[in-house]
Amino acid sequence: MIFHEYLRTVVREFKQREQNTKFLEGFLAIFRRNFRIIWQYKFSIIMGFVTNLIIFSLFFYVALLVPEMQISQDNYIVDSVSFIFAGVILVEISTRTLSRSLNSFTSEMKQGTFETLVTLPFGLKRYFISEIAFEMFYGVFISIIYFIPILFIYPAFKSVSISIESIFALLLVSFCCILIFFSLSLIAANFTILVKRGREISMVIIGIISLLSGSLFPLSMFPKWLQIIAQFSPITLAVRAFRLCMFGNGTITDSIVWISIIVLISSAVFFYIIFHFSYKRIYNRIRQTGTTHEF
Amino acid sequence: MIEILSSFKEETKRNSFIARIGAISISRIKMTLNYKSSYLMVLVLNITIVFMYFFFGKLNPDMEIFGLNATYFEYCIIGLCLQMIVGTSLGTANGNINNEIASGTWSSLFLQFNFLEYSIGTTAAGVFLSSFSILIVLSIAFLIGNFAFSITFQEVLLILLIFILILASHMVISMLFTSFTIFYQKDSGLVSLIYQLTKTFSGILFPIALLSGFPLFISNSLPFTYGLETLHMILFSDSIQWKLLAYNCSILLGMITVIGIIAYVLVFLSLKNVKKNGKVDWY
Repeated sequence: MIFHEYLRTVVREFKQREQNTKFLEGFLAIFRRNFRIIWQYKFSIIMGFVTNLIIFSLFFYVALLVPEMQISQDNYIVDSVSFIFAGVILVEISTRTLSRSLNSFTSEMKQGTFETLVTLPFGLKRYFISEIAFEMFYGVFISIIYFIPILFIYPAFKSVSISIESIFALLLVSFCCILIFFSLSLIAANFTILVKRGREISMVIIGIISLLSGSLFPLSMFPKWLQIIAQFSPITLAVRAFRLCMFGNGTITDSIVWISIIVLISSAVFFYIIFHFSYKRIYNRIRQTGTTHEF
Repeated sequence: MIEILSSFKEETKRNSFIARIGAISISRIKMTLNYKSSYLMVLVLNITIVFMYFFFGKLNPDMEIFGLNATYFEYCIIGLCLQMIVGTSLGTANGNINNEIASGTWSSLFLQFNFLEYSIGTTAAGVFLSSFSILIVLSIAFLIGNFAFSITFQEVLLILLIFILILASHMVISMLFTSFTIFYQKDSGLVSLIYQLTKTFSGILFPIALLSGFPLFISNSLPFTYGLETLHMILFSDSIQWKLLAYNCSILLGMITVIGIIAYVLVFLSLKNVKKNGKVDWY
């Protein structure tokens, strides 16, 4: 009798503890864990900088193929190098959250640690949110560290004069752009646990977004049907607004800027809702089929 | 006695160098085909990149491709297609050993391990599968950009020769970094760095005539620069420049020989070290 009572108490306490796993505690624990991992692989930070430098060298030299070309868009005229650099910087910074998050989930699956994450009382959904939030913060931080020296090496924006209002609008557009990738990463994480190909999924999404964003050329190069499709990609609007703020002194009162901010925020919310409702179904499916840890 | 000898001969034939490489390749192809979704997604990505530079080329249809009689799209599609082969040749040997170590199969593979056979077998399988991607990308290029050539039989043979040299030169680089992977039981990350450098500085998306100083030095140190320059010359020049062809082929052969020998020695030493210290299956 005493034993049964004791057992009930243990089960009750266990259940209580499971319910009491606070989101903030787990969130901070994941941040601490990830910082420790990054600190263990300090060399990868230097390698990351070198890789970024190489990528931007590629776009710099590609832009030099059309050095004399002046690109006119939304009432401003800018040289091809600045035009390409502005587009590529925004796409690179914002897509980093997606690629890093999905790479992280793929690594967990490959190493076999994903199964443990799935069964943690903290919950896989909260883990996804915390992990992607970390990658978002770290991605922005490391991008700033990387891009300052790169912009000294390739002074693409040396002739750009920008007002305080435009800087504010530019930062707001960038933030919204990063936010949309946060939500997109959550949906992609759902697909990753279903089809287990996170790295490839992120590569394909980033490839298509880069193509449609017009980061490398104005959208007028596309045929009409592709121009229409490109308008449905929120990043296309973001790149356009970003460039307007940088080269045309666009502010938040400009229709392109505020429309893009509203579209980005509403798309981010829409993607989050899709994630929220699809998560449970996908999670139950992998549990039923027993493919939680399969890679 | 005769029967025994003939069966022994038969067995030896089955276990010949080529047969073993063939067996490794077939098993790798079968394994890769288990991951069809990965293969398809990479193919979609490659097609997207081709589209991206197709539209970039439209930015200035009269874009000058230093000394070559080609449009920008014709110029870059050659490099973009071969980039897949370079990536496969660079990543396969090193990546597979790294996977074997991580998944714990390295200790059993290690017992009958012939590094050269393993490298050639796995790389050949990877290149075989990548070739399908190239065919699909070229077909799309033909459809969207009217990309077509008429080349002679002699040019086909030369392209094949350059193709093999490019493949081998990147395979030996991968073999070189495998020695690090075997020794330390972890990936150095240098293979992906070399791949990034090759993508940027070997003249895939812009002619190396645009480079100067240190970037030009990097470009001249990469084997793909020589292979791609020769291919562009064969495809876009009015006549074959035999001097350039001989020079570039010699450089590629030299790189294959020197890096190959160093890689083989280093792998041998690494294997000896891990055997001595009992680190075969340790991760």
